[in-house]
Amino acid sequence: MPEVTARGTRFHVQTMEPAGAAADPPGGAPVVVPVVVFVHGLVVDDLSSFYYTLAGPVAAAGARAVLYDLRGHGRSQRTATGYGAAEAVADLFALLDVLGERRVHLVANSFGGVVALNAALARPDRIAGLVLIEAYGPAERSGEWTEALLNTLGKSGLVLEYERLADQLLAIGWRRGGRKAATADALINGTSLLADLAALDPVPPAALASLPCPVLAIYGEHSDVAEAGALLARTVPDCTLHVMAGHAHTVLREGTAELLEVMLPWLAHHAGTAVPVATATAAPSGVRS
Amino acid sequence: MTEGQDVLGEVVAMLVEVVGEDFLLDVEVGPDTTFNRDLALESIEFVALAEKLQGRYGDRVDLPAFIAGMDLDEIMNMTVGDLVAHIGSRLGAAAV
Repeated sequence: MPEVTARGTRFHVQTMEPAGAAADPPGGAPVVVPVVVFVHGLVVDDLSSFYYTLAGPVAAAGARAVLYDLRGHGRSQRTATGYGAAEAVADLFALLDVLGERRVHLVANSFGGVVALNAALARPDRIAGLVLIEAYGPAERSGEWTEALLNTLGKSGLVLEYERLADQLLAIGWRRGGRKAATADALINGTSLLADLAALDPVPPAALASLPCPVLAIYGEHSDVAEAGALLARTVPDCTLHVMAGHAHTVLREGTAELLEVMLPWLAHHAGTAVPVATATAAPSGVRS
Repeated sequence: MTEGQDVLGEVVAMLVEVVGEDFLLDVEVGPDTTFNRDLALESIEFVALAEKLQGRYGDRVDLPAFIAGMDLDEIMNMTVGDLVAHIGSRLGAAAV
Protein backbone atom coordinates (compact mmCIF):
# COMPACT_ATOMS: atom_id res chain seq x y z
CA MET A 1 0.00 0.00 0.00
CA PRO A 2 1.97 3.02 -1.21
CA GLU A 3 -0.24 5.85 0.02
CA VAL A 4 -2.37 6.02 3.12
CA THR A 5 -4.55 8.96 4.04
CA ALA A 6 -4.70 9.54 7.77
CA ARG A 7 -5.85 12.66 9.62
CA GLY A 8 -6.52 14.24 6.23
CA THR A 9 -2.89 13.92 5.19
CA ARG A 10 -1.39 11.68 2.52
CA PHE A 11 1.42 9.44 3.83
CA HIS A 12 3.86 7.35 1.82
CA VAL A 13 3.96 3.86 3.34
CA GLN A 14 5.95 0.77 2.34
CA THR A 15 5.35 -2.67 3.81
CA MET A 16 7.69 -5.63 3.59
CA GLU A 17 5.89 -8.86 4.32
CA PRO A 18 7.66 -11.43 6.50
CA ALA A 19 9.68 -14.08 4.73
CA GLY A 20 7.88 -17.40 4.51
CA ALA A 21 4.65 -15.91 5.85
CA ALA A 22 2.21 -18.70 6.54
CA ALA A 23 -1.44 -18.33 5.63
CA ASP A 24 -3.93 -18.63 8.47
CA PRO A 25 -4.84 -22.28 8.87
CA PRO A 26 -8.44 -23.00 7.86
CA GLY A 27 -10.62 -22.95 10.93
CA GLY A 28 -7.61 -22.47 13.22
CA ALA A 29 -6.33 -19.49 15.12
CA PRO A 30 -4.84 -16.78 12.89
CA VAL A 31 -1.05 -16.76 12.63
CA VAL A 32 0.28 -13.89 14.73
CA VAL A 33 2.92 -11.94 12.87
CA PRO A 34 5.05 -9.46 14.82
CA VAL A 35 4.88 -5.96 13.35
CA VAL A 36 7.87 -3.61 13.37
CA VAL A 37 7.31 0.03 12.39
CA PHE A 38 10.27 2.22 11.41
CA VAL A 39 10.35 5.96 12.25
CA HIS A 40 13.00 8.05 10.48
CA GLY A 41 14.75 11.33 11.31
CA LEU A 42 14.34 14.97 10.29
CA VAL A 43 14.28 17.05 7.09
CA VAL A 44 16.67 15.29 4.67
CA ASP A 45 15.80 11.86 6.07
CA ASP A 46 13.02 9.57 4.84
CA LEU A 47 11.98 5.92 4.93
CA SER A 48 14.68 4.94 2.42
CA SER A 49 17.33 5.08 5.15
CA PHE A 50 15.62 2.07 6.75
CA TYR A 51 14.43 0.49 3.50
CA TYR A 52 17.97 -0.33 2.39
CA THR A 53 19.42 -1.19 5.81
CA LEU A 54 17.33 -2.75 8.60
CA ALA A 55 13.85 -3.35 7.18
CA GLY A 56 14.77 -6.19 4.81
CA PRO A 57 16.59 -8.28 7.45
CA VAL A 58 13.75 -7.66 9.95
CA ALA A 59 11.18 -8.90 7.41
CA ALA A 60 13.45 -11.85 6.61
CA ALA A 61 13.43 -12.67 10.33
CA GLY A 62 9.66 -13.05 10.21
CA ALA A 63 8.21 -9.62 11.05
CA ARG A 64 6.01 -7.41 8.93
CA ALA A 65 8.15 -4.32 8.39
CA VAL A 66 6.16 -1.11 8.01
CA LEU A 67 7.99 2.03 6.85
CA TYR A 68 6.45 5.46 6.40
CA ASP A 69 7.59 8.96 5.54
CA LEU A 70 6.83 11.42 8.33
CA ARG A 71 4.57 14.35 7.48
CA GLY A 72 6.38 16.72 5.11
CA HIS A 73 9.22 14.26 4.52
CA GLY A 74 10.11 11.95 1.62
CA ARG A 75 7.02 11.37 -0.49
CA SER A 76 4.45 12.19 2.18
CA GLN A 77 2.34 15.33 1.92
CA ARG A 78 3.94 18.53 3.15
CA THR A 79 1.40 20.38 5.23
CA ALA A 80 1.92 23.94 6.46
CA THR A 81 1.67 22.94 10.12
CA GLY A 82 1.57 19.89 12.38
CA TYR A 83 5.20 19.00 13.08
CA GLY A 84 5.14 18.76 16.89
CA ALA A 85 5.56 15.53 18.85
CA ALA A 86 1.87 15.18 19.72
CA GLU A 87 0.92 15.57 16.05
CA ALA A 88 3.53 13.03 14.96
CA VAL A 89 2.27 10.55 17.56
CA ALA A 90 -1.33 11.11 16.41
CA ASP A 91 -0.19 10.58 12.79
CA LEU A 92 1.49 7.31 13.73
CA PHE A 93 -1.52 5.81 15.50
CA ALA A 94 -3.93 7.04 12.81
CA LEU A 95 -1.74 5.29 10.22
CA LEU A 96 -1.66 2.10 12.28
CA ASP A 97 -5.45 2.24 12.55
CA VAL A 98 -5.81 2.47 8.77
CA LEU A 99 -3.33 -0.40 8.33
CA GLY A 100 -5.18 -2.47 10.92
CA GLU A 101 -2.15 -2.86 13.17
CA ARG A 102 -2.98 -2.91 16.85
CA ARG A 103 0.23 -3.53 18.78
CA VAL A 104 3.69 -2.96 17.29
CA HIS A 105 7.39 -2.59 17.99
CA LEU A 106 8.96 0.70 16.92
CA VAL A 107 12.46 1.14 15.52
CA ALA A 108 13.40 4.83 15.51
CA ASN A 109 16.41 6.78 14.32
CA SER A 110 17.49 10.23 15.52
CA PHE A 111 14.43 12.54 15.77
CA GLY A 112 12.22 9.50 15.20
CA GLY A 113 13.08 8.64 18.80
CA VAL A 114 11.08 11.64 20.00
CA VAL A 115 8.05 10.27 18.17
CA ALA A 116 8.63 6.70 19.38
CA LEU A 117 9.13 7.60 23.05
CA ASN A 118 6.08 9.84 23.14
CA ALA A 119 4.03 7.16 21.36
CA ALA A 120 5.03 4.54 23.94
CA LEU A 121 4.14 6.90 26.79
CA ALA A 122 0.83 7.96 25.21
CA ARG A 123 -0.41 4.47 24.31
CA PRO A 124 1.51 1.82 26.26
CA ASP A 125 -1.14 -0.73 25.25
CA ARG A 126 -0.15 -0.39 21.60
CA ILE A 127 3.66 -0.20 21.76
CA ALA A 128 5.27 -3.51 22.68
CA GLY A 129 8.88 -2.36 22.57
CA LEU A 130 11.29 0.30 21.32
CA VAL A 131 14.57 0.16 19.48
CA LEU A 132 16.03 3.66 19.76
CA ILE A 133 18.97 4.40 17.47
CA GLU A 134 20.77 7.66 18.20
CA ALA A 135 17.45 8.90 19.51
CA TYR A 136 16.79 12.47 20.52
CA GLY A 137 14.19 13.04 23.21
CA PRO A 138 15.43 12.02 26.65
CA ALA A 139 16.89 14.96 28.57
CA GLU A 140 17.03 16.25 32.15
CA ARG A 141 16.10 19.82 31.25
CA SER A 142 14.06 21.64 28.59
CA GLY A 143 16.14 23.09 25.79
CA GLU A 144 19.04 20.78 26.52
CA TRP A 145 18.64 18.85 23.30
CA THR A 146 16.45 21.11 21.14
CA GLU A 147 19.01 23.90 21.17
CA ALA A 148 21.69 22.09 19.20
CA LEU A 149 19.12 20.61 16.84
CA LEU A 150 17.50 23.98 16.15
CA ASN A 151 20.82 25.74 15.69
CA THR A 152 21.77 23.27 13.00
CA LEU A 153 18.41 23.38 11.26
CA GLY A 154 18.06 27.15 11.62
CA LYS A 155 21.46 27.76 10.10
CA SER A 156 20.70 25.54 7.11
CA GLY A 157 17.34 27.32 6.84
CA LEU A 158 19.06 30.69 6.60
CA VAL A 159 21.49 29.41 4.00
CA LEU A 160 18.68 28.05 1.88
CA GLU A 161 16.64 31.23 2.21
CA TYR A 162 19.28 33.79 1.37
CA GLU A 163 21.58 32.01 -0.97
CA ARG A 164 18.84 30.23 -2.86
CA LEU A 165 21.01 27.16 -2.80
CA ALA A 166 18.30 24.93 -4.20
CA ASP A 167 17.82 27.06 -7.31
CA GLN A 168 21.54 27.28 -7.87
CA LEU A 169 22.00 23.53 -7.63
CA LEU A 170 19.12 22.92 -10.00
CA ALA A 171 20.47 25.51 -12.42
CA ILE A 172 23.74 23.66 -12.75
CA GLY A 173 21.92 20.39 -13.28
CA TRP A 174 22.73 18.84 -9.95
CA ARG A 175 19.28 17.40 -9.66
CA ARG A 176 19.65 15.28 -6.57
CA GLY A 177 21.33 17.93 -4.49
CA GLY A 178 18.82 20.39 -5.85
CA ARG A 179 15.82 18.27 -4.99
CA LYS A 180 17.08 17.44 -1.50
CA ALA A 181 17.90 21.07 -0.86
CA ALA A 182 14.56 22.18 -2.28
CA THR A 183 12.71 19.77 0.02
CA ALA A 184 14.72 20.93 3.03
CA ASP A 185 14.14 24.55 2.06
CA ALA A 186 10.39 24.04 1.75
CA LEU A 187 10.20 22.25 5.10
CA ILE A 188 12.40 24.63 7.06
CA ASN A 189 11.28 27.91 5.54
CA GLY A 190 7.80 27.05 4.35
CA THR A 191 6.22 25.22 7.29
CA SER A 192 5.87 25.51 11.06
CA LEU A 193 8.58 22.85 11.55
CA LEU A 194 11.15 25.03 13.35
CA ALA A 195 8.54 26.67 15.58
CA ASP A 196 7.03 23.28 16.40
CA LEU A 197 10.45 21.85 17.28
CA ALA A 198 11.26 24.86 19.43
CA ALA A 199 8.10 24.20 21.42
CA LEU A 200 9.01 20.55 22.07
CA ASP A 201 9.49 19.36 25.61
CA PRO A 202 12.11 16.70 26.25
CA VAL A 203 11.07 13.38 27.75
CA PRO A 204 12.15 13.85 31.38
CA PRO A 205 13.55 11.19 33.74
CA ALA A 206 10.24 10.73 35.58
CA ALA A 207 8.45 9.86 32.33
CA LEU A 208 11.28 7.57 31.23
CA ALA A 209 11.03 5.74 34.57
CA SER A 210 7.37 5.03 33.83
CA LEU A 211 7.99 3.41 30.44
CA PRO A 212 6.43 -0.05 30.67
CA CYS A 213 7.90 -1.55 27.49
CA PRO A 214 11.41 -2.90 26.93
CA VAL A 215 13.87 -0.55 25.22
CA LEU A 216 17.01 -1.27 23.23
CA ALA A 217 19.05 1.95 23.00
CA ILE A 218 21.95 2.14 20.54
CA TYR A 219 24.27 5.15 20.43
CA GLY A 220 27.57 5.99 18.80
CA GLU A 221 30.49 6.38 21.19
CA HIS A 222 31.27 9.86 19.86
CA SER A 223 27.68 10.97 19.29
CA ASP A 224 26.57 14.41 20.43
CA VAL A 225 23.40 12.77 21.79
CA ALA A 226 25.24 10.00 23.68
CA GLU A 227 24.05 11.50 26.97
CA ALA A 228 20.46 10.63 25.98
CA GLY A 229 21.51 6.98 25.80
CA ALA A 230 23.09 7.11 29.24
CA LEU A 231 19.94 8.73 30.62
CA LEU A 232 17.76 6.00 29.10
CA ALA A 233 19.96 3.32 30.67
CA ARG A 234 19.73 5.03 34.10
CA THR A 235 15.98 5.61 34.12
CA VAL A 236 14.04 3.17 31.91
CA PRO A 237 13.18 0.05 33.96
CA ASP A 238 13.87 -2.43 31.14
CA CYS A 239 16.62 -0.88 29.02
CA THR A 240 19.57 -2.39 27.22
CA LEU A 241 22.18 0.16 26.12
CA HIS A 242 24.63 -0.70 23.37
CA VAL A 243 27.37 1.82 22.59
CA MET A 244 28.99 1.49 19.18
CA ALA A 245 32.72 2.03 19.43
CA GLY A 246 34.21 4.53 17.01
CA HIS A 247 30.84 5.73 15.74
CA ALA A 248 29.15 9.14 15.96
CA HIS A 249 25.55 10.01 15.03
CA THR A 250 25.39 8.23 11.67
CA VAL A 251 25.33 4.63 12.94
CA LEU A 252 22.36 3.62 10.79
CA ARG A 253 24.24 4.15 7.55
CA GLU A 254 27.78 3.40 8.70
CA GLY A 255 27.21 0.68 11.29
CA THR A 256 24.37 -1.31 9.74
CA ALA A 257 25.94 -4.75 10.27
CA GLU A 258 26.65 -4.16 13.97
CA LEU A 259 23.17 -2.68 14.46
CA LEU A 260 21.63 -5.84 13.04
CA GLU A 261 23.84 -8.03 15.23
CA VAL A 262 22.43 -6.29 18.29
CA MET A 263 18.88 -5.72 17.13
CA LEU A 264 17.87 -9.06 15.60
CA PRO A 265 18.52 -11.13 18.77
CA TRP A 266 16.72 -8.45 20.82
CA LEU A 267 13.70 -8.59 18.49
CA ALA A 268 13.81 -12.40 18.54
CA HIS A 269 13.61 -12.28 22.33
CA HIS A 270 11.00 -9.52 22.65
CA ALA A 271 8.95 -9.71 19.43
CA GLY A 272 9.25 -13.40 18.64
CA THR A 273 11.03 -13.05 15.31
CA ALA A 274 13.48 -15.71 14.15
CA VAL A 275 16.64 -16.14 16.18
CA PRO A 276 19.59 -15.18 13.96
CA VAL A 277 21.54 -18.25 12.87
CA ALA A 278 24.83 -16.94 14.21
CA THR A 279 23.44 -16.60 17.74
CA ALA A 280 20.89 -19.42 17.65
CA THR A 281 23.41 -22.04 18.65
CA ALA A 282 24.82 -19.88 21.43
CA ALA A 283 21.45 -18.88 22.88
CA PRO A 284 20.44 -20.62 26.09
CA SER A 285 17.46 -22.90 25.84
CA GLY A 286 14.12 -21.73 27.11
CA VAL A 287 14.59 -18.06 26.22
CA ARG A 288 11.54 -16.05 27.15
CA SER A 289 9.70 -14.35 24.30
CA MET B 1 13.81 -8.15 -28.42
CA THR B 2 10.35 -6.75 -28.71
CA GLU B 3 9.61 -7.71 -25.14
CA GLY B 4 12.87 -6.06 -24.02
CA GLN B 5 11.84 -2.88 -25.81
CA ASP B 6 8.42 -3.03 -24.16
CA VAL B 7 9.93 -3.47 -20.71
CA LEU B 8 12.37 -0.62 -21.36
CA GLY B 9 9.49 1.61 -22.43
CA GLU B 10 7.52 0.72 -19.34
CA VAL B 11 10.47 1.29 -17.01
CA VAL B 12 11.08 4.71 -18.59
CA ALA B 13 7.40 5.59 -18.20
CA MET B 14 7.55 4.63 -14.52
CA LEU B 15 10.69 6.71 -14.04
CA VAL B 16 8.87 9.71 -15.51
CA GLU B 17 6.00 9.11 -13.09
CA VAL B 18 8.32 8.85 -10.08
CA VAL B 19 10.71 11.69 -10.84
CA GLY B 20 8.49 14.05 -12.79
CA GLU B 21 8.77 14.89 -16.46
CA ASP B 22 10.63 18.17 -15.94
CA PHE B 23 13.64 16.41 -14.52
CA LEU B 24 13.95 13.87 -17.30
CA LEU B 25 13.47 16.22 -20.27
CA ASP B 26 17.16 16.66 -20.90
CA VAL B 27 18.08 13.00 -20.46
CA GLU B 28 17.61 10.44 -23.18
CA VAL B 29 16.98 7.31 -21.12
CA GLY B 30 18.38 4.12 -22.63
CA PRO B 31 19.84 0.81 -21.47
CA ASP B 32 23.18 2.43 -20.57
CA THR B 33 21.66 5.16 -18.41
CA THR B 34 22.70 4.83 -14.76
CA PHE B 35 20.26 5.60 -11.99
CA ASN B 36 22.85 7.45 -10.00
CA ARG B 37 25.18 9.32 -12.32
CA ASP B 38 22.85 10.03 -15.23
CA LEU B 39 19.47 10.30 -13.57
CA ALA B 40 20.64 11.39 -10.10
CA LEU B 41 17.82 9.27 -8.73
CA GLU B 42 17.30 9.71 -4.99
CA SER B 43 17.12 6.61 -2.84
CA ILE B 44 13.50 7.37 -1.92
CA GLU B 45 12.70 7.59 -5.64
CA PHE B 46 14.17 4.15 -6.22
CA VAL B 47 11.86 2.85 -3.48
CA ALA B 48 8.91 4.32 -5.40
CA LEU B 49 10.17 2.84 -8.68
CA ALA B 50 10.60 -0.59 -7.07
CA GLU B 51 7.03 -0.43 -5.88
CA LYS B 52 5.71 0.45 -9.32
CA LEU B 53 7.64 -2.46 -10.83
CA GLN B 54 6.18 -4.79 -8.23
CA GLY B 55 2.70 -3.46 -9.02
CA ARG B 56 3.20 -3.98 -12.76
CA TYR B 57 4.99 -7.33 -12.83
CA GLY B 58 4.08 -8.78 -9.45
CA ASP B 59 5.96 -11.51 -7.68
CA ARG B 60 7.26 -12.92 -10.96
CA VAL B 61 10.01 -10.29 -10.95
CA ASP B 62 10.69 -10.53 -7.20
CA LEU B 63 12.55 -7.25 -7.04
CA PRO B 64 13.11 -7.39 -3.26
CA ALA B 65 15.13 -10.60 -3.73
CA PHE B 66 17.01 -9.01 -6.64
CA ILE B 67 18.15 -6.00 -4.59
CA ALA B 68 18.47 -7.84 -1.26
CA GLY B 69 22.03 -8.87 -2.05
CA MET B 70 23.15 -5.34 -2.94
CA ASP B 71 23.90 -2.30 -0.85
CA LEU B 72 22.50 1.07 -1.78
CA ASP B 73 25.55 2.12 -3.81
CA GLU B 74 25.36 -1.02 -5.92
CA ILE B 75 21.67 -0.49 -6.52
CA MET B 76 22.11 3.13 -7.54
CA ASN B 77 25.07 2.27 -9.79
CA MET B 78 22.92 -0.10 -11.85
CA THR B 79 21.96 0.87 -15.37
CA VAL B 80 18.42 0.93 -16.66
CA GLY B 81 19.52 -1.94 -18.92
CA ASP B 82 20.55 -4.06 -15.90
CA LEU B 83 17.08 -3.67 -14.44
CA VAL B 84 15.33 -4.33 -17.77
CA ALA B 85 17.48 -7.46 -18.29
CA HIS B 86 16.53 -8.77 -14.84
CA ILE B 87 12.85 -8.19 -15.51
CA GLY B 88 13.09 -9.77 -18.95
CA SER B 89 14.85 -12.88 -17.65
CA ARG B 90 12.32 -13.36 -14.86
CA LEU B 91 9.37 -12.87 -17.22
CA GLY B 92 10.95 -15.34 -19.64
CA ALA B 93 11.48 -17.86 -16.83
CA ALA B 94 7.92 -17.43 -15.62
CA ALA B 95 6.55 -18.03 -19.13
CA VAL B 96 8.29 -21.41 -19.53
